[in-house]
Parts: sequence; structure tokens; C-alpha cells
Amino acid sequence: MKFKSQQIAYWYFATALLFFSLQIVYGFIMAFAHIGYDVLHPFIAFNTARAVHTNLLVVWLITGFMGSAYFMIPEESDRELWSPKLAIVQLIALIAVGVTAVIGFHFNWWEGRKFLEIPRELDYLVVVDILAFLLNIGMTIFKGKRFTSTALVLYMGLLFAALLYLPGMLDFDNQTRDSFYRWWVVHLWVEGVWELIMGGILCYLLIKLTGVDREVVEKWLYVIVGLTFVSGILGTGHHYYYIGTPKYWLLIGGIFSALEPIAFLAMAIAAVTMVRKGERKHENRLALSWTLACAILSFVGAGFLGIAHTIPGVNLYTHGTLVTAMHGHLAFWGAYACINLAMMAYAMPLLTGRKLFDTAGSLWAFWLSNVGMVSMTGALAVAGVSQVMLERRMGLDFMTVQREIEVHFIGMVLAASLFSLGIFLFVLNFIRYGTPRWEGPK
Amino acid sequence: MLSKSQAKAFFIGGTLIFGSIFIALTIDSMKQVPTRTHEEKMTAQVVRGKKIWDKNNCMGCHTLFGEGAYYAPELTKAFDRRGGPWLKVFLKDPEAMFPGQRKMVNYHFNDAQIEEVIAFLKWCGEVDLNGFPAKPPLRDLMIKPAAASSTPAVSRAAGPQPGIFGALCVACHSIGGQGGAVGTALDSVFARKTRDEIAIWIADPAKVKPGTLMPKLPLAQDQIDSLADYLTSFGGAR
Repeated sequence: MKFKSQQIAYWYFATALLFFSLQIVYGFIMAFAHIGYDVLHPFIAFNTARAVHTNLLVVWLITGFMGSAYFMIPEESDRELWSPKLAIVQLIALIAVGVTAVIGFHFNWWEGRKFLEIPRELDYLVVVDILAFLLNIGMTIFKGKRFTSTALVLYMGLLFAALLYLPGMLDFDNQTRDSFYRWWVVHLWVEGVWELIMGGILCYLLIKLTGVDREVVEKWLYVIVGLTFVSGILGTGHHYYYIGTPKYWLLIGGIFSALEPIAFLAMAIAAVTMVRKGERKHENRLALSWTLACAILSFVGAGFLGIAHTIPGVNLYTHGTLVTAMHGHLAFWGAYACINLAMMAYAMPLLTGRKLFDTAGSLWAFWLSNVGMVSMTGALAVAGVSQVMLERRMGLDFMTVQREIEVHFIGMVLAASLFSLGIFLFVLNFIRYGTPRWEGPK
Repeated sequence: MLSKSQAKAFFIGGTLIFGSIFIALTIDSMKQVPTRTHEEKMTAQVVRGKKIWDKNNCMGCHTLFGEGAYYAPELTKAFDRRGGPWLKVFLKDPEAMFPGQRKMVNYHFNDAQIEEVIAFLKWCGEVDLNGFPAKPPLRDLMIKPAAASSTPAVSRAAGPQPGIFGALCVACHSIGGQGGAVGTALDSVFARKTRDEIAIWIADPAKVKPGTLMPKLPLAQDQIDSLADYLTSFGGAR
């Protein structure tokens, strides 16, 4: 750790892991409800559990991104953070918003719009919070001694993510318009600007861990984020097939969604190649494993499993079934959870001065969580495909089909237990690292 | 080989070009939305229905236009599938309609609110969704044999079907292979029960058989009578 203010990242990572753990608890509530064990229904109905599960995901990933930015940007800009105090205030505000929203969901206080359930009053606080964050990072870059492409791409990702939050705050009486602009946020986030953030962090980690020349890595970064936007912007069309928008979206969405995996494939190939060719053998192999898991699983989850059901003729039957949940789980895990965990695995030894990266616990954490998530995806795939066949192709009643596929949720719970054990070990290792220690000048 | 500045130009250029196309298509889509969604039919009642839909996060369990969660049925065609009377009874007390099964929160809507939700769902069902939800392509292969075997017996003797039967009962029961599969098929119920037994049963199923899955429906006595008459009419001479 070169700069004292990088320590702030630790508190962001700790918060992210706390929210992540809570997200998993609500995931279990939903999986059990799918099997028929819904004793919590009077207190935590499915729509509450669902809103908490997905919103906590968004919140912990963003918290992790912020932590990553606070760790990376001082080093990339070669100076201390513009205002460490603002970073602390901003974290506290973020926690307050997150906790209030989660509690509110239990009392029917929300906007019923998938992934953007946070009530309007809190939306404004989110905006203020993000502005404070962008100001802090922006000023650090602006006043920095060095200006890197990695920092630029990361900052552009964060800036556009903030801008794209705004269409989600527009009100529409027409369900079709409402849905149309909701995807401006959700799709253009996860299949657009978040990939800039992910690309920036991935790039930073590859430079540090493989020793490949910065110019080469950053060139690839531009190619990858270029491919992402070229395919991803019009790829939004795959959400516009069947919501009351014109028919040409079937063609445009179909073509550009088919191109989306190319960006992920390029990322996976670039990462694997750099790791192979890199001359530096960094001692933190664990961080490298997480980095590679991110590059490869995001291709499988977001790229491959995405295109598996964005072909319009297929999507006509899979749209609105568990097939979407199958894709969602591995895509978010691969692309965004893994990059956050990779950054934590890399940063923690530097923040605390303790080298706990080759412990048995941290290795088990890596393998159990990854194998667990792949198995969960498998369970959801079987449930989803069965649902499509029985309900959408054969026309059986919804609940008849749900009882038919209940058994796959037992598989889901078992796989999720494996996954949770992995995450538990990750958190345990995180705790063992202790709090940051500053050994430089006071 | 590609240089870094060329790669950067590709990123910025690609984003600008495809971003512009996306904006242009958005403007065109928005122009088409009023006709495709029949915005003229979007009455104040429909809009209030949508507010109720949003306010209670219905999308947290159901899908609408295929969007939402996958815990409860897709509702785009709910009005076509169930009809107004069924939805009205269901929304009053969701669990009563499917006892012992997957639960829905009872939001204690008043009658006006229920009408608003139904109006919203009816409007949704009429939006042009490019063919979604699709007619299940394999359905005909599956139910034809069953329908063929039982249809003649019914059509020969049946009396006039009361409207309430088509609105409520078919959600769970079938006649001549048409209807739901949650309850038993009613083609031959006349052979097992008398007219009065059927009437008492419909009036309060749990009183006759505690723990039954069949809900007590808010029916008037003349509706119960017409249903009992209809169901025993298949017996012909009886």
C-alpha cells in the first residue's frame, strides 16, 4: 500500500461482504419457498425476499466497486485521495440508504419495478451519495501526477453508471414506456457501463499480477470495452422483443445480442493469454485465480448462457421463466461478484500487511463458491428448461408445472449450501486479515 | 497490429455510432407506443390499477409482459384466461382460492381497487406484444385424446351452462376435457351425488369435508341452484 488513504477501501469491502452475506440468506428464503416451505410468508413474502435479494446484490457490488476505486485510484493517480473524510461520510450514507431500503421492503415501502425497487425518496439520497463519490474520485484523478487509461475507463464507467440511474427515476403511466426506460438502467448498467468498471479493475489486476506491459493491457481494455458497447447498446433490444415495442427490435436485438459474447470471449482470451505470457510470477496466486475465474465465468454466464436464450424464437418461450434466473446467477457471479472478490483478494494482503493468500481456507473458499455457483446454475437450468417445456410448449397449468419442478430446488438448496460455505470461508479469511495497518510515514 | 490509440478510437467511435442509432430507434419506438398499446384505452382506472400494481411490487412474484419474478403466474393474459368475475373473487382472498398451495399476500383491496387492477390487466392483455405469450405449440397433441373420449357423453345430455360456471368453476374443474386440472373432472358427478348434495357442497365445501381444497365461493343461492341443476343435467333421465 503506497498511500494512506487507500485504507478506506477496507471498510467498503467489509460492508460489501456484510451485504453479500445477507443477500445469500434471502436467497435461501426464496429457494425454500419454491420447494413449498414458506413458513416465513406472513413476515417475509416472496416479493420482499426477492427485492432484498436483488437490491442487496446491486448495493454490495456497487460498494465493492467504490472500495476498488478508492484502492486503485490513488495508486493510478500517484497521490492521496482528494478527501478521505468525504469517503467515510459517503460510506455511512450508503449503508444508511441500503439498510433503510431493506427494512422498508418488509413494510411494503418500495417501487414495484424489478431491480429498481428502492423508493423514490431514497433514490435522491443515492444520487447525492454517488455524486459525492464521483467528486472524490474525479478530483483525485484531476489533481493526480499521473493519468492512466485504466483510471479513465474506470471513471467513465462509474460516471455513466450514475447518469444512467436517472432514467429509472422517470414516471410513466404506460407499462410499455415504463419498462422501456427501466431497461435503460438495468441493461445498460450490467451489459454496458458496469463492464467498463469491471474492465478497468480487471486491467489493473492483470497489470499488477502478470507484469505484462501496461500499454498492451490497456490497448486490449479499449478493444474489449469497445466491443462491449458496439454490441451491448443495441443488444438492449433483447429486452424489447415482447413488451409492446416495434417488431424491428426482434431483428436488431437478435443480431446484436448474438455479438455480445464476443466481448466476453475477448476478455477471457486476453486474460488467459496475459497470465500465460506474463513474466512476473506474483506471489498472490489466489488473486490471480479470482481474476481468471471472473474472465472465464463471465464469458460462460453472461456471454454463452445469455445468447442461449436471446435468440428471438427461443426467447418467445423462455421469456419470463426460470431460464432467466439461471443466466442471471452465473452472469452476475462471474462478471461482477468475482471481480470484487478478486480485488479484495489482491488488496487485503497489501492493506493489512498479512499474507494469508495461500491458506487452506482461502483456497477452499475459491473452489467451494465457484463449484457451488456452477451447480446452482445447473439446478436452475434443469428447472427452467422443464418449465419452458411443460408450461410454455405443452400448455400445462403454472402451478402444476411448479410442483413438477420443485425437486430441482432441493438441488438448488444443496448447491447453494456449498456456495455459502465457500463464501463463509472467504468472509472468515477476510476477518482473519484484521484491520488495515499503515507502516509508512505518519 | 492495432495500436492503443486506434483501439481507443474504436471504442469512442463505436459507442457514438451505436449510441446514436439507439437514440434514433428509441424516438421511433416511442412514436409507435400509443398505437401498439392502445393508449386511448388507458383510462384513469387503468392508470390507477398500474399504480396499485407498482405500489405492492406485484412484479416481485408475478411476471407481466414476461417481466418480473418467476414465483407466480404470468399475468399478461390473466383477464382472458380467468375473466373478470374469477379475478374479483380471487383478489378478495387469494389464499381461499388455492388453499394449502403457494400463497399470495392478501392486500385487502376494496371493490374499487379490485376493479382498477382488473382494468389494468385487461388493458395489458390487449397490448400488441409481437406474439407473446405464444400459444403452446404442443398443447393440441396432448389434450385431443382425452377430449375425444369424454365429449360425446356430455354434449348429448347437458343443460344450458350457467355463466358463472365458465367464469369460476372451469379455473379448477373440467367438463368434456375443457378446464383446469386442480379439481376433479365434473362430467360424471351426477352419478355420485344428488342435486341437493351438490348444492350443499358448493355452498360450503369445508363444512361437508373439512380440509378440502375447494374454496367457499361468494355465490348467491340462485347461482348455486343453477350450478347444481347444470351438473345433474348430464344424467339425462334422472
